[in-house]
Amino acid sequence: MKMKKYNIIKSLGFFAALLLMVNFFGCKTDDVQKLDERNWKLVWSDDFDGQAGTLPDVNKWDYDLGTGDGGWGNQELQSYTKNTQNVSLDGEGNLVITAVRSGNTFSSARIKTQGLFAQKYGRFEARLISPYGPGIWPAFWMLGENIETAGWPQCGEIDIMEMRGQEPNVVHGTIHGPGYSGGNPITKSYTLLGDRFDKEYHIYAIEWDENKIDFFVDDYLYQRIERGDVPGEWVYNQPFFILLNVAVGGNYVGFPVPETPFPQKMIVDYVKVYREQ
Amino acid sequence: MKTNFHKLLKYIPLGLLSVMLLSCERKFDDLTPATAPVNPDVFIDGFSAGLNYASFGGAVPTAFDVDSEVTYDNSSASMRFEVPDAGDPRGAYAGGAYFTESPRDLSGYDALTFWAKATKAANIDVVGFGNDMGASAYQVTINGLAVNTNWKKYIIPIPDASKLKAERGMFFYSEGPEDEKGYTFWIDELKFEKLGTLAHAEFTILNGENKSETAFVGVAKPIDGLTAIFNLPTGINQAVNLTPAYFNFKTSNEAIAKVDESGVVTVVSGPGVAQITAQVGNVAAKGQLSVQSAGEFAQAPIPQNDPTKVISIFSDAYTNVPVNYYNGYWAPYQTTLSADFEVNGDHILQYTNFNFVGIEFSAPTVNATAMTGLHLDVFVPNAMAGNAEFKIELVNQGADGSGAYTTSIPASQAQQWISLDIPFASFAGLAGRDKLMQIIFSNGDGNMPVFYADNIFFYGDSTPPPPGDEPTTAAPAPTANAADVIAIYSDAYSVLAGTDLNPNWGQATVVSEVQIQGNNTLKYAGLNYQGIALAGSENFSTMTTLHLDFWTANSSALNVYLISTGPVETAYALTVPTSGWASVDIPLSSFSPVDLTDVIQLKFDGGGDIYLDNIYFSKAGTPNPTEPSAPAPTPTANSADVIAVYSDAYSVLPGTDLNPNWGQATVVTEVQIQGNNTLKLAGLNYQGIALNGGQDFTSMTSVHLDFWTANSTALNVFLISTGPVETPYTLTVPTSGWSSIDIPLTAFSPVDLADVIQFKFDGDGDIYLDNIYFSKESGPAPTEPQTAAPTPTVNAADVIAIYSDAYTVVAGTDLNPNWGQTTVTTQTQIEGNNTYKMTGLNYQGIQFGSSQNVSGMTYLHIDFWTANSTTFQIFLISTGPVETPYDLTVPTSGWGSVDIPLSAFSPVNLSDAIQFKFVGDGTVYVDNLYFGK
Repeated sequence: MKMKKYNIIKSLGFFAALLLMVNFFGCKTDDVQKLDERNWKLVWSDDFDGQAGTLPDVNKWDYDLGTGDGGWGNQELQSYTKNTQNVSLDGEGNLVITAVRSGNTFSSARIKTQGLFAQKYGRFEARLISPYGPGIWPAFWMLGENIETAGWPQCGEIDIMEMRGQEPNVVHGTIHGPGYSGGNPITKSYTLLGDRFDKEYHIYAIEWDENKIDFFVDDYLYQRIERGDVPGEWVYNQPFFILLNVAVGGNYVGFPVPETPFPQKMIVDYVKVYREQ
Repeated sequence: MKTNFHKLLKYIPLGLLSVMLLSCERKFDDLTPATAPVNPDVFIDGFSAGLNYASFGGAVPTAFDVDSEVTYDNSSASMRFEVPDAGDPRGAYAGGAYFTESPRDLSGYDALTFWAKATKAANIDVVGFGNDMGASAYQVTINGLAVNTNWKKYIIPIPDASKLKAERGMFFYSEGPEDEKGYTFWIDELKFEKLGTLAHAEFTILNGENKSETAFVGVAKPIDGLTAIFNLPTGINQAVNLTPAYFNFKTSNEAIAKVDESGVVTVVSGPGVAQITAQVGNVAAKGQLSVQSAGEFAQAPIPQNDPTKVISIFSDAYTNVPVNYYNGYWAPYQTTLSADFEVNGDHILQYTNFNFVGIEFSAPTVNATAMTGLHLDVFVPNAMAGNAEFKIELVNQGADGSGAYTTSIPASQAQQWISLDIPFASFAGLAGRDKLMQIIFSNGDGNMPVFYADNIFFYGDSTPPPPGDEPTTAAPAPTANAADVIAIYSDAYSVLAGTDLNPNWGQATVVSEVQIQGNNTLKYAGLNYQGIALAGSENFSTMTTLHLDFWTANSSALNVYLISTGPVETAYALTVPTSGWASVDIPLSSFSPVDLTDVIQLKFDGGGDIYLDNIYFSKAGTPNPTEPSAPAPTPTANSADVIAVYSDAYSVLPGTDLNPNWGQATVVTEVQIQGNNTLKLAGLNYQGIALNGGQDFTSMTSVHLDFWTANSTALNVFLISTGPVETPYTLTVPTSGWSSIDIPLTAFSPVDLADVIQFKFDGDGDIYLDNIYFSKESGPAPTEPQTAAPTPTVNAADVIAIYSDAYTVVAGTDLNPNWGQTTVTTQTQIEGNNTYKMTGLNYQGIQFGSSQNVSGMTYLHIDFWTANSTTFQIFLISTGPVETPYDLTVPTSGWGSVDIPLSAFSPVNLSDAIQFKFVGDGTVYVDNLYFGK
């Protein structure tokens, strides 16, 4: 999703290619609901219990702050803070990341387990209520732990959940790696018919082993990406850390409009990581 | 709704007429029978079954047509609307309604949707549904819908589809020329849908604000500021307009204020508070109205002036001259708002947040040269923190400028009408009154933040004299004990013999005696000075005060003198003019160095017309009666709604100190009045009651006091929070019998109700107090349980149940065997929990499905609830019959739960229990009847 270090050229051709990619991988979905029995063991989790108005557990979460390089590589509008108006526990067992509009500027938060927790393979899931509105871009995602040395996209990126706020009923699962990143990732969307993701909690998860990554919404497998599906190197064989954020604006989602309601909240009930026994 | 549309509604009957004449009503009944109760389609490729169209009055009747050329998605037909140019002789706009003859059930949908495009970018004034050309109860509209030259899908959310079980208004629109130019727009695929992708509905009443309004019995007022916002599937918010019928309004206290289906709030009794809230479907609307009923509205005195000698600015008694406004909202410094109201046909001006406010009547100006003064009735509805300086300014157009008159509104006269008759001469600086154009009220001390005004008019000399020239009521009857009084002038006491009320000292004053309500009253007309000569020298040294009742509407100065031989005389200034009767008790020490053993005369000087009564010397004595003959009334508030400080009727806050040592002179004792503990404050100067630390009364709405005093002339109660922050509330004394008051806690603002530490009383006299408690409004006592009986927690293996949702019960049990009883039994659900209800209980049996051996059990459990039963027994019965009753305590407060030892039913054969019987009265709810061990 985010670590694009180059500008995407907004051309029809680019979007056509993207659509082609989606369609190509989209045709592998419906026959894969017979899943292998797994025996998952919970190894890391945060239920976000704690006093209302406090920051999440410092032993589990760190922050990305500010506006990054070129709006975090995507011309995003928000500045990330660790102010409790942007990120705090709600006292009812949730983490709330809030995107706030103040005139023409926006603040929000991006938290990560970098340096605190990373894992190779397993099940990674979060239960959350998404924010909504044109220009709102929430995400639950992961980056390879070696990003500092290998750089992006060599480190790899797994976007477990991304959403464009103008389509509050569509979720996207994506991976970026060397040769298939930025505007050219491997991605697939899942659409709720007659409902939206911002009305109540949904569970977003991946199950990842050395040969494939499965993407789930509410335990429905909507995308499987196998080692052989990627046009470049398969870089998903090292520990990844977790990120949660709400971006505003940017190349992926477009700009907020005057009718976009603010503030916008992503309400996260839990994040859990399992390892196969 | 935009103005445009109001206009339409006004003309709808005409529109229907035009429909008939011009035949622009279409019926397509022949397509399919008009009997489709659930039909989402309005216009797909033609009119749906049973759909009619009627053009609105004043609209171009032919604006709408079916178009087969321009359609969405190449369908066979669309709806085309031709908006006329400005000035089109056929009509000023395009507008009409699509409605069905027989209603449709739309409750399964969440939106009306359609595709639209136009020949140019434009904003359609109104589109919506729910206009059935009749009551249109469930109307929903979007104003200013933006369309352009591309087909786009539009969504009008349904606020609460469950209301639309029989709707006839399928669609309507209204659009006028844009920049005076007409254009064309198309609508296609018009239908109701279940989208599921609308979210985050937000509703408001009062535009989401929490408002508090003081009102009176009989005031009716609609709740406004009804709004709705929905988040569309595109993530953007869409505001819609909706009718009140979508809101379910609720009052917290039906006994104080009712609210009807259309959101009109009517105050039915008082004093008291009711909260008005609303929800749409199951979503609570933001905003609420706190109706502070002040009870029956006291009308201002009806003016008696001759209408031919009145120029009225605001009065229901006279015809008012043209007035530009009663509140000019003068920027930037005016804070005063208007909240005028009407009670039973009487219009009242209400000014809130009062600092200053102007009334203007400049078109035309008022020539008041034939008038002599300004009349005004003022009412301060809340307790006042202190006397208020009330300034009235009259503005005459031109160089003559303005004149101002300032009077003091005494705190003691809050919550009553004060009639002011102010001669023009009293308006300092007012040179002319031929072109009066404004009246400006102002108050700088903030002691009258809210006031009502009525009967604002200029009066001329008239016969009979306008009220205000003489008292309409007699002076208050004195309460001092005759034994403690030496009276000079009074009907209430025997007076000193030989007093000359009008000695000839060369004065201009005209002295007469007039009767006011049968009470002899001394009148000084055109006072310059006036004496009262005693028969000889009198010794008043055993007395402590000189009492006077005086009344004047037009005096600007008044002094009273005591004179001893010499003459030695000392003046004491009285506050004039008065509003109503003023009473003073002047300490005789004020007249020093007058020799109190040798007083020979009294004298008054000053100006104006003065009425005097009850001139007497008195000493502090034993009041009569000295103490209440009956206890304070027993409070009726539900104990669950009360936090008591002092009362025999409630459990009180522990640790309260009824006599903290604050250095006061007051003597505190607890006395028994007919066995009822009563707090007595004797010789009050001030007195505290210290609570045990800071107490939180934020959940309460008022504080209740019963007080009794025969001799107090001033009494305030203070609530005090840490700081200390304290606010007084003035109690009316002396009382005749017990006075009970429920003071809204808001009257003690800014005291922190979350941290109240003390009460304080100040004033004078001997005070009896009882039933000091905080309470909150509660609805009428519930007549049925608000909550289900507690769920039993006993292990099912240890239970033989006869009636319970929690256990398997004995099969075949007859809950209503016919034993000739008159009790009506029903099974009712309380919070989804089945509950056994006996109404009009005389007796009632329950026949077990089979004989039960309960000898292994130890107790019988029953949950029971009753608000009105006075006696209630349960019998266990074994074959024979052998039966034994057990008395249960009623009425209950909440659910009563008991485990009755089975030994209590001896000699019933526990190995052969066959029946229960209930005997008692009232309505009783029962649940969880089981034997346990």
